[in-house]
Amino acid sequence: MSSAAGPDPSEAPEERHFLRALELQPPLADMGRAELSSNATTSLVQRRKQAWGRQSWLEQIWNAGPVCQRLAFPLPALSRKQRTVLVVCGPEQNGAVGLVCARHLRVFEYEPTIFYPTRSLDLLHRDLTTQCEKMDIPFLSYLPTEVQLINEAYGLVVDAVLGPGVEPGEVGGPCTRALATLKLLSIPLVSLDIPSGWDAETGSDSEDGLRPDVLVSLAAPKRCAGRFSGRHHFVAGRFVPDDVRRKFALRLPGYTGTDCVAAL
Amino acid sequence: MSRLRALLGLGLLVAGSRVPRIKSQTIACRSGPTWWGPQRLNSGGRWDSEVMASTVVKYLSQEEAQAVDQELFNEYQFSVDQLMELAGLSCATAIAKAYPPTSMSRSPPTVLVICGPGNNGGDGLVCARHLKLFGYEPTIYYPKRPNKPLFTALVTQCQKMDIPFLGEMPAEPMTIDELYELVVDAIFGFSFKGDVREPFHSILSVLKGLTVPIASIDIPSGAGIQKVGWGRLGPYPPDSCPHQV
Repeated sequence: MSSAAGPDPSEAPEERHFLRALELQPPLADMGRAELSSNATTSLVQRRKQAWGRQSWLEQIWNAGPVCQRLAFPLPALSRKQRTVLVVCGPEQNGAVGLVCARHLRVFEYEPTIFYPTRSLDLLHRDLTTQCEKMDIPFLSYLPTEVQLINEAYGLVVDAVLGPGVEPGEVGGPCTRALATLKLLSIPLVSLDIPSGWDAETGSDSEDGLRPDVLVSLAAPKRCAGRFSGRHHFVAGRFVPDDVRRKFALRLPGYTGTDCVAAL
Repeated sequence: MSRLRALLGLGLLVAGSRVPRIKSQTIACRSGPTWWGPQRLNSGGRWDSEVMASTVVKYLSQEEAQAVDQELFNEYQFSVDQLMELAGLSCATAIAKAYPPTSMSRSPPTVLVICGPGNNGGDGLVCARHLKLFGYEPTIYYPKRPNKPLFTALVTQCQKMDIPFLGEMPAEPMTIDELYELVVDAIFGFSFKGDVREPFHSILSVLKGLTVPIASIDIPSGAGIQKVGWGRLGPYPPDSCPHQV
């Protein structure tokens, strides 16, 4: 049985990568920017590790993902084919969020399939994988390189391969090849947190990298989101406490009612 | 306000992912109007009674509820954290649907969340945190706290979000009625058995005297889950009891 133990120390580096990139890149001209110093980043990491188990954090932020999809691609308007979603997961935190997302998509009556070629060995990833398997979400053993096959089989692809600060070289050949195929998609692509492969700070590679239709920024938009040119940009993950917002001078869009996503 | 209207049993309040996907005729696993059964919302809810009546919902026995939980932990490898977070979030969402901030007198609306010694209390802590994010002003009373990292962390999260914890329970219902517009009962859940010990016996006595509404997480605390037609927080006419075996 899974325990509620705190995060594994070996997982700290990816969290620091995430938080180092946690700067607000406002889409609106009159919003300010906040920079996280490395000291602030470290203290925020410590506080989060103390306060939150990773599992519940992931549930909060990725409960938002399928909600974004419903907003962008509402279910009643979709044909059966269009309800099929391919979720491509990398081996790190971004991929874990993708696994949670796939499970919630299933509950929301989409038909997800997962491609998760490079699997993390940590307990959290393994448990999230079990949950998906037990909910009869299929896992592809390979991804066709012929992009037309993907265009025909699915209505939508979710990119949960690389998060901020994770280099493509760190995630192995299969993920890198998958990203090359995804660049050629003609069906819509939804990217989690940042389009995989974009530089989180500069957005370089945004020209010949992935061009998602929808970007779901987690907690706050990253700097590279300024280069996003797709149809919908959402901020998701309504869990940032006021004092954290103040401390890092984050300015976030207002969430409405009980929504956990807000459109920018 | 009659006890019946005041007592808003929220039944099996779980997020969809907490329960395996089971087709029709069984558990309603969404926080929507379908699982309300025959009870009609009277305070701010605008849900259609035809919608409610048209969906057949199964009400679980204690044994069944425990079996579902065991399946989720053992077979699906869900962690307590995951399910508690989803449950608490959906409770806060249900409360916001039933008592939208715009329908309440104060801005922000004040809510007292009473948390018991087990997982139901943990659900209440998560719920309080999300209520704060939704624009309510929760206060927590949490007299018996398990010495486990999960619960310690949940308390920390609430404290860091400036949610106050009362040092003692107000002794008079009227005090609570004056300070809070809603009380969330997160004292005991479906695994509760046996006698109610202090301080919860006294707490439940105070709650019985309230005129402000009570929203109960999972089951009204102290109500025998197997029994029809009564509850320690007040009598239910049999056809309105949220729990029928």
